[in-house]
Amino acid sequence: MKKYIIFAMALALSACATKKQDMYQWGSYDGLLYEAYKDPSKVEDLRVKLEAQIAATESAKQKVAPGLYAELGTIYLQIGAKEKALAYYKLERSTWPESQTLMTSMIANIERRPTKEEVKQ
Amino acid sequence: MKKLSSILFALALTGCATQNITKKDFTAFQTAAPRSILIVPAVNHSLDVDAPNYVLSALPIPLAEKGYYVFPVNTTKVVLEQEGLYEGDLVQQQNPQALAKLFGADAILYVTINRWDAQYAVIATTVTVDFDYRMVSKDGVEIFKENKKLQYSPQNNGAGSPLAKLITAAINAAVARSKPNYMPLTRMANNDVFVTGKNPIPDGPYKLNETN
Repeated sequence: MKKYIIFAMALALSACATKKQDMYQWGSYDGLLYEAYKDPSKVEDLRVKLEAQIAATESAKQKVAPGLYAELGTIYLQIGAKEKALAYYKLERSTWPESQTLMTSMIANIERRPTKEEVKQ
Repeated sequence: MKKLSSILFALALTGCATQNITKKDFTAFQTAAPRSILIVPAVNHSLDVDAPNYVLSALPIPLAEKGYYVFPVNTTKVVLEQEGLYEGDLVQQQNPQALAKLFGADAILYVTINRWDAQYAVIATTVTVDFDYRMVSKDGVEIFKENKKLQYSPQNNGAGSPLAKLITAAINAAVARSKPNYMPLTRMANNDVFVTGKNPIPDGPYKLNETN
């Protein structure tokens, strides 16, 4: 009987399974972003896990979900890692043509900024 | 015991049943045929200053899975802040055509948080989220509008979909603590509006390509 109930429960829970979200691998992007907003010290956790998720998706030869490259690029930009930010913005642009306007202006913005070395001089 | 399992079976069967509902008119949406959606920070009418950020984090996945290119929400937020637009109110006052052009977006999604609160009582605590969703094309035409209110109270499961009742277990523990977790309800509201509900938006170009 117990088995029946568990089965019924599973069925009830999966009743909408055909509509399940499975086009992209998100990892726990939404949850991590939420945590990072709640506690800014978790941004590093978001960066590490997002990067791992992207690497895993790439090695599985799947298309990285819309926005993920750019989000990672922005985290890098905010910690001053310009080259990494540029690389991820370029990946977003080449993966998703819809992002071209935004990514091109982000990239141009970075390239206009002086590097740390130039500032020191 | 037998009763319980038959209830659950019935639940499973009706879980996704479409009721007699009036279909929304998607003519304007289909005319605009957006490929990309820009999600901007939400307008907040609740007392929780963090609510817009939390809502923002729960929006991209359902829309992207629906087949649209969704602009990176945090990157968007950072760009808008650089323009001096820190609050959702300010963003929503901007000309949508200009905003869409700045990002190269086909459509903009505006969300207003009407309610995001927990009412504490001795017997039951009720958590409520209430959102307005409004999508505007890059030409400034409104192409989608919806309101979603979801309530959860552990002692009163009368309201909400069958799925909502089953998800309550996840929320239950959170409600018991002093700071309730609104995210399960928020995710469910977004999913209802864009994916699983009565009048979800049409599938986007990436979804269509997939099924072809």
